[in-house]
Amino acid sequence: MDVLLVCAHPEAGSYTHAIADAAARGFGRAGHDVTTLDLYNLAFAPAMTMAERAAYHTEQPLLDPLTVEHAALVRHADVLAFVYPTWWSAPPAILKGWLDRVLVTGVAFRFDHRGKVRPALTHVRHLVGVSTYGAPWAYVKVVNDGGRRMITRALRMSCGLRTPTTWLGLYSVDTLGAAERAAFLDRVEHELARLDPVHQ
Amino acid sequence: MKTLVVTCHPDPSSFTAAVAERALTALRGSGDEVRVTDLYKEGFDPLFTAAERRRHLDPGSDPTVASHVEDLAWCQRLVLVYPTWWSGQPAMMKGWIERVWVRDVAFDLPPDSNRVHARLRNVRRLVAITTHGSSKLVNSVEGEAGKRMVTRTLRAVCHPLARTTWLAMYGVDTSSAAQRTAFLDRVQRKLSR
Repeated sequence: MDVLLVCAHPEAGSYTHAIADAAARGFGRAGHDVTTLDLYNLAFAPAMTMAERAAYHTEQPLLDPLTVEHAALVRHADVLAFVYPTWWSAPPAILKGWLDRVLVTGVAFRFDHRGKVRPALTHVRHLVGVSTYGAPWAYVKVVNDGGRRMITRALRMSCGLRTPTTWLGLYSVDTLGAAERAAFLDRVEHELARLDPVHQ
Repeated sequence: MKTLVVTCHPDPSSFTAAVAERALTALRGSGDEVRVTDLYKEGFDPLFTAAERRRHLDPGSDPTVASHVEDLAWCQRLVLVYPTWWSGQPAMMKGWIERVWVRDVAFDLPPDSNRVHARLRNVRRLVAITTHGSSKLVNSVEGEAGKRMVTRTLRAVCHPLARTTWLAMYGVDTSSAAQRTAFLDRVQRKLSR
């Protein structure tokens, strides 16, 4: 299967990047082809522009060569995987902007004749999210994990309600030791290597 | 009441812009001292940089957002006006939160702690005004991430008794002109109190 892995963290040597590498190793072990988009490294512009907003309801909503390229990757993906730190209960602005600017009409959904939204990511067979949280698990549950809901619910509605999702979270990350961080990398690699392997 | 209005929409002729205009009319009419930040108009850069990330550990805000920090520390009521995209705030507004609501501005984070302590005790009212393309039912199923971010995550660093107001129009993509007018009137009515 083709895996599109989208990674968002401003620092190239970050723990988030180590997680993305572990995820890619896991997918690779299962025989999948992984394409990684490192949004900060690509200098992806987060804000939807006025021209893009104006084109949103037209046949050509993608105006930037980078969003055209990313949309083509999305259309060929069997698995969409997101790796990011959760900030303010949500993905970083650069990843939110990627959803805003790449997952547009004709890529993630389309409007039917009554103007209702219909899914267009029906080719996606699995949604994966891996995130770190500064807050403890209980606090995340109380304030609500908006980023997780965005991916496992809002985005899933564009895939199909039966599309399986996998969520791996590491909580209280700022106060964890090196051993716990290393153990999570192993867990990510192991879990994603088991995900729908090619030989089955 | 000292009120900060933060608006976010790329198109100045959008319905969101009209909503923000109505909100301002109501707030000024009731004698509030109002400051306005139009993120797209001022060309705000929503990209949280590696240098800013390092300040999470060695705190302080980026000097380029100093005026935003000053406004946030000044206001008693914060009004956010934006369209809901992918069940959350547009990246532009999310970036404003990431860059302005930083450690030592919005919250304290004691060493070796993973619990934030509120610093924006000046903010006693949090108001979100937004539009959703899809229906209320669809948004409920999707989990209303944007709503919960404002009413829970942001509220957690404001005054402990801060009140939140959620003014949302659902199904705006398929709405009639009369429904949109009714929403504008509702916004004005709610903010005139």
